[in-house]
Amino acid sequence: MPGRIGALLFWLAFFLLAALIAWPANAWFSLTMPRHQALQLPIMAGMGALAATRFKTLAIRGLSLQLSLLIGMLASLTFWMLPRSIDLAVVFPSFNRLMLANMLVVGFFCVVVFRALAWEIRILFQGMVAAMLLATGFALRAITVLLCSAYSISQQHETGLALVAYGAAIFLTTVVSVFRGLGTRNAEAKRENAGEKTRALNFSAGSEQAECGGTKDEQGG
Amino acid sequence: MKKLLLPLLTLAGAVALLAFWSNGFRTFTVFSDTLHRAGPLPREFPDIPLRDQDGKAFHLKDQKKFHLVNFVYLNCPEVCHKINNRLEGVYHGMEGGLIPKVLEFVTISFDQKNDSLERIRSYRSQFEPGIAGWTFALTDRVSSKDFEGFLRQAGVWAKPVPKTGLINHSIYQFLVSPENRIVAVFDPGRETDAAILARIRSCLDG
Repeated sequence: MPGRIGALLFWLAFFLLAALIAWPANAWFSLTMPRHQALQLPIMAGMGALAATRFKTLAIRGLSLQLSLLIGMLASLTFWMLPRSIDLAVVFPSFNRLMLANMLVVGFFCVVVFRALAWEIRILFQGMVAAMLLATGFALRAITVLLCSAYSISQQHETGLALVAYGAAIFLTTVVSVFRGLGTRNAEAKRENAGEKTRALNFSAGSEQAECGGTKDEQGG
Repeated sequence: MKKLLLPLLTLAGAVALLAFWSNGFRTFTVFSDTLHRAGPLPREFPDIPLRDQDGKAFHLKDQKKFHLVNFVYLNCPEVCHKINNRLEGVYHGMEGGLIPKVLEFVTISFDQKNDSLERIRSYRSQFEPGIAGWTFALTDRVSSKDFEGFLRQAGVWAKPVPKTGLINHSIYQFLVSPENRIVAVFDPGRETDAAILARIRSCLDG
């Protein structure tokens, strides 16, 4: 029963927060580009990821489906980072809510797909997202032409800085994952090698024993 | 191969969506998208009744000369004034005798609510002396819906921001021929004054 109440409270808080971000607080988030792109979007993706943690055993298996979902996620991120999408999201709140719902879904599937995803593909995906954010961030920092009619060039630069920070954070996480993954793999490989050596030793020892036994048998015979 | 089918289809769908959204990866902003949707050049400049700073009603198409048309609003905090200051440089960069005989500059206000004849006259006076052939104009008894339609046909993005009095808008400048056709579009955000001048000269030379 307490578990059910906990779940009920979680979902209640979850939907209240999502509604707060999508409706009353939407005007505040849409006021500046850094709030819109570097706060509202990641918060919604984070909430999606948080929702996925409630489904502990849910995992997408099968490389084909996993790859499709990852491509879909990258396309979503790209779509909502286009200046035209940003402008229309600011002008039309319903379009903005579509973007927020999409980010929730992206966050959710990111966790669910990652649970059963091959380490190499995870690294590749993280690397691509980091590269995309870094490239967009540096471009926004460098471009002196107004890209979004709803915001100013200084806000573009601030958003660029935030995206570079996110990209760098994901890149560092990826690097750590690479070395940890490699460490784990080396350890596994060593264990396997050690196991093979033991098996080989056991095998040769067994052969020797069999030989000795044979001799004994022969001797005995 | 069977395993690759779904990811490949998803990838194709994603690329198709992005291509559709950006008109074949050519327009990524609302400005360029609105301009693209208005149609390829040369195309007809939409007609709209205007009134100049002296209260005289006119239509661009009746004047049978080249016009360099841009759009501003006087409450604009920054961009419009910068653009008009740049345009002043282009105006003075043109060879003597061309303006107003062959070419006229026309600055049209976006702000139908707040910009009045008195305000645009006062604003224009800041560019004096010597800007003969540069008209500042208001729309003349045009509904906001018709004005939106005119801007859309011209290829100009303009959206008023609720409660702020601000208008988000394109900064394109349109060179309209004596036959009332848009023959060139300049983007002062990307092009230098010298480049704009060179392109205007090239169009005037035919």
